[in-house]
Amino acid sequence: MSEPAPPVAELTLRRRLPPRLPRRRGDVYVNMKTDFKAQLSRCQKLLGPGGGCTEICIHGLGLAINRAINIALQLQAGGAGALRLAANTSTVELADVLEAQSDEDGHPPLARARNNSAIHIRVCRVSPPP
Amino acid sequence: MSNAREKKRAKKMRNQPSSVTLPSDYGPCHSGIQHHNGGSRSFQTPKQDLYPESSQGYQQQRHPYQSPGPSYRNEQYFSKGQNRSEKERGRGGWRGGRQNVSQEMPKYITASTFAQARAAEISAMLKAVKQKSSNSLVFQTLPRHMRRRAMSHNIKRLPRRLREIAKKEAEKAVHQKKEHSKSKCRKARRRHVNLVVEFNRRQKKNIWLETHIWHAKRFHMVKKWGYCLGERPTTKSYRACYRAMTKHCLLQDLSYYCCLELNGKEEDLLKVLASMCNIDTGPTFAAVPCLSGRIQGSLVLYHANRYPEDALGPITFIWKPKDECYVTSKMRQLWIWTHPSLKQDILTELKSVFQCTEPVETCSPEPVVTFCQEKKQPDVAMSVGRKRKREDDGEKAVPLKKIIGDGTRVPLQPYCWTSQSTGVVISDLTMEILRYRLIGPLTHCVLTEALKTASVQTEMADAETELNNWWVENCKDSEKVSLHQRQEAIFELLQGISSPSEIPAGTILGLTVGDPRVNLPKKRSKALPNPEKYQGKYSCCKEGICTSWSCAQWKPLSNHTDDPDNENIRQLLLEGVPVECAHSFIWDQTICKNVTENKIPEQDLNRMRGELLVPGSQLDLGPRESKDGAGWGSGWDICLPKGWGMAFWIPFIYQGARVGGLQESLKHSEYKRTPHIPNDYPDCPAGVQFQEDLESILLEKFKRRPPAKRANYVKLGTLAPFLCPWGQLTRDWEVRNKAQEESVLASSPDRMSCAIESQVPCDPNPGLIIEDSQGDRVTCSQGDMMEERTTIQNLCTEHEDATSNGFFVVRSRKLLRQLSAWCRPTCGKGQRVRPASKLGQKEMTEEALLPIFKCYRRALVWVSLSLLRKGSPELHAMICVPTQEDFLQLDKDQLFCGPQEPKHRDMFKHKILKLKERKKKKNNGKALESGASHALEAKAVEEHKELILGLWPDPLPDVTSHCSRILLGFVTQGDFSLAAGCGEALGFVNLTGLLHMLSSQPADKKGLVLLRTPASLQYRFARLNIEV
Repeated sequence: MSEPAPPVAELTLRRRLPPRLPRRRGDVYVNMKTDFKAQLSRCQKLLGPGGGCTEICIHGLGLAINRAINIALQLQAGGAGALRLAANTSTVELADVLEAQSDEDGHPPLARARNNSAIHIRVCRVSPPP
Repeated sequence: MSNAREKKRAKKMRNQPSSVTLPSDYGPCHSGIQHHNGGSRSFQTPKQDLYPESSQGYQQQRHPYQSPGPSYRNEQYFSKGQNRSEKERGRGGWRGGRQNVSQEMPKYITASTFAQARAAEISAMLKAVKQKSSNSLVFQTLPRHMRRRAMSHNIKRLPRRLREIAKKEAEKAVHQKKEHSKSKCRKARRRHVNLVVEFNRRQKKNIWLETHIWHAKRFHMVKKWGYCLGERPTTKSYRACYRAMTKHCLLQDLSYYCCLELNGKEEDLLKVLASMCNIDTGPTFAAVPCLSGRIQGSLVLYHANRYPEDALGPITFIWKPKDECYVTSKMRQLWIWTHPSLKQDILTELKSVFQCTEPVETCSPEPVVTFCQEKKQPDVAMSVGRKRKREDDGEKAVPLKKIIGDGTRVPLQPYCWTSQSTGVVISDLTMEILRYRLIGPLTHCVLTEALKTASVQTEMADAETELNNWWVENCKDSEKVSLHQRQEAIFELLQGISSPSEIPAGTILGLTVGDPRVNLPKKRSKALPNPEKYQGKYSCCKEGICTSWSCAQWKPLSNHTDDPDNENIRQLLLEGVPVECAHSFIWDQTICKNVTENKIPEQDLNRMRGELLVPGSQLDLGPRESKDGAGWGSGWDICLPKGWGMAFWIPFIYQGARVGGLQESLKHSEYKRTPHIPNDYPDCPAGVQFQEDLESILLEKFKRRPPAKRANYVKLGTLAPFLCPWGQLTRDWEVRNKAQEESVLASSPDRMSCAIESQVPCDPNPGLIIEDSQGDRVTCSQGDMMEERTTIQNLCTEHEDATSNGFFVVRSRKLLRQLSAWCRPTCGKGQRVRPASKLGQKEMTEEALLPIFKCYRRALVWVSLSLLRKGSPELHAMICVPTQEDFLQLDKDQLFCGPQEPKHRDMFKHKILKLKERKKKKNNGKALESGASHALEAKAVEEHKELILGLWPDPLPDVTSHCSRILLGFVTQGDFSLAAGCGEALGFVNLTGLLHMLSSQPADKKGLVLLRTPASLQYRFARLNIEV
């Protein structure tokens, strides 16, 4: 992912990946690349009888917030009242780095933090299965 | 005729009077009649028929003539056996003739001559019986009812008469068996000293890495570049390794990479090195972050002042961080890491550029070196053998235990050169520094679990005085201790970072760690991230928990946003490791040596482990992140001083790292879409060499199959299935470009209006190359080919450059960025409209293109391709330009896979067949014919020697227009990518062709190409991307 910067200074903007937390079984990170249906069915499987999770956490960042909400609502609608949602928002710090393309401009790579919104939705069964 | 019968017959005949034939076998014809000379009659008969009148005299004369002829008898004897079957078929001619003859009885017999003749016959018969003609063993010739179990094993089970022969046979078989060195018993052979000697002998030709024995037990080993390397694990682990790369941690031993060290004044080094690289290709040696020693740089070296041609190969480099104390002296140390296949070229070029010709003898123990500089071997095998090491051992009286894989240098070969004018010293540190690569998100866990930073020691422990005294001394200096503590703090922070990709790419962190063998876990286990460490950052998930249901396992974590740890991590992520933390003792040769020599032997360590744990010997290492932060496949490289290979290897494995071989590194680069080292550098000498090797391997493999069972590449229209003819590709495109320009100039007076049309590349003869009946098409295009070739030759003679094969790979970032912007579809579904001008890019116009055409006439561009739908590309797949019809069909039918190439005709097939026939004829009439005709044939054979069924003979026709779609380039790596979930390929295309194609394509279809694997007629659509 490199995008040309203004030609005055030969710099390349490099966006680093967002920091990730260690994953448990019930953590689902939603992205815009994977098919929506696939992500939904993955959540359903996790919550379903063989999935082994009583609750899952759906994380969405930036553009994927909408999709995360959508998945959570679809899960709830399909769950016939057995699921409860708890949404939580946060801000994630992302790092952007401007890398010099030539030797002359002496400054070290400029890094700056950029904030982006994120959502974390916990989906839980109301009554655990007997 | 079976042997058994022969023997039976011989046995019967043994006690017979010589003049008597056996009546029983031979039917009614012989009944009652006993001939004086037995069966010889059958030979006589025709002759006697010819000379009936002189039969009497003839027979008398014949006896002396026949007597020395045992072979005669032999044949006759056999023919009788055959005769029987013939008779059964009812051929009576012989019988009748014989009976006629038999009636004439000889009147008298000379006894002596007759007996003589019979004696000779008998001896011949016996001889024939004794030696057997077939190559079966004795017991195999026995009839079934006489066979016994385990006859071959025990001779006594054979009938007695055959035992002697069987004995002989058994002895022979023993002799034929491979001579097994039974000089020593197994116990002696496995004794450690002998084992080491044997290992040393075996690694004389190809160097072993320190982990060789570990690898050899688990990997398919190959001999490459003068090393024995693990190709791939013997277990099925293709996917497991991929999973390790994406989710866990993959470990590779890259110790075969070569390190070259340059020592000298900073200006001197920079000034000279600047001639070997170019600022266009990205930051060079002089880039500020690299020069300070914080970050590892990477670039492509060229022959001095030859950019953009004559590339030497890609390298990575590290500057030794500046010492605060010695700011005034500008002596700097630079490490250049290269692939072993490139090393020799780079080293010679560096030596010539720096004028370093004088070998330095200080590093070598013997004074012999001085006169051995002339004997410098030019071959690639750079540091083979272990003689010097042995001598070292002798001199320094290091304990007898040798470190396997520590074979360093040939004693007489210099590896350190200095220049008299500038004082720059180049030394070859091959095999002096080990390098391990850890890839994957759990790298940090593995590293932090396996390695513990060295504890600060201020007082001399009496036992380890000599072992660690450099460290103790170092610990006395408070400044250095504080530095060490800072490094330690950063290392500890790594535990809180979930993936190496979050850290700035190329970060270097120096570290001194304790002996990793000391805190080896008891069992192999997977290092898992510890959520506690993520405390600072874990704040996000905790607040929204409704308390209405039980959530015992979900413990709210403290939300300290101003947690100092968190702050530090943030700083690390943004700014990377501070300069001073890149300091490491690994730069200091004496300490490295000391550490290597004073490694506690495994055996002692095991003993001590039983008693008490000692603070292990200290050791430097500089792990450095080498990978790009593009997310996937990032990791750390760890550099160690030699001798510590296994000591670090095993702890990593015990922490759950999976080990990959060469194949895994190839796949890693393919999935990451980065060029792999010798494969993807066709303009380097090593790349050329690699291609040639690959071609010969593939060709051998192809030839091993029977012609009917292998692909006929001529019919498939694949000109070069085993080799990418880059030179010819660029030449053909150059010519094509020229021809178009000229035709445009000639045909149209109004240049401007036609200039646009001239960009439409495609066929000069579109009517002919559209699919048609095969024969026609081929002949037409051949005619055109001839025409074209003449024009080509004219043009070539006009514009031939000094460089003969002179193609090169474009590595100028500016141009690549421009190209990659042009390759993207400018409008279409799902694509945000990005006007080119907004990004500071030039529009793709005639003015923009012309200078590129002029400057880069024979250039290749490295591209990555991902298939739109089905298909997985292979090695040497062809990248072609789609036609307008293809796009129309693609628009109409979303599931359209791609067009088909019409079958070609194999015009070499009948030539090959003719050749074969001629050869056969020649073989038949070899004895008769000779002389002039022979010479003529030989000439013809020579002419067609190169013809192999299914391959084009050597001078290839125009490669670009051979098929129905115009050829743009070739794929150098291709496979189904597990990372992307579709077929992906990396390859090179011709720059001129690419620009022609792009300028003619509609806006929403920009960058679409066709891919065709060599053994298929199916084209498939792929999207072309240029990675900067």
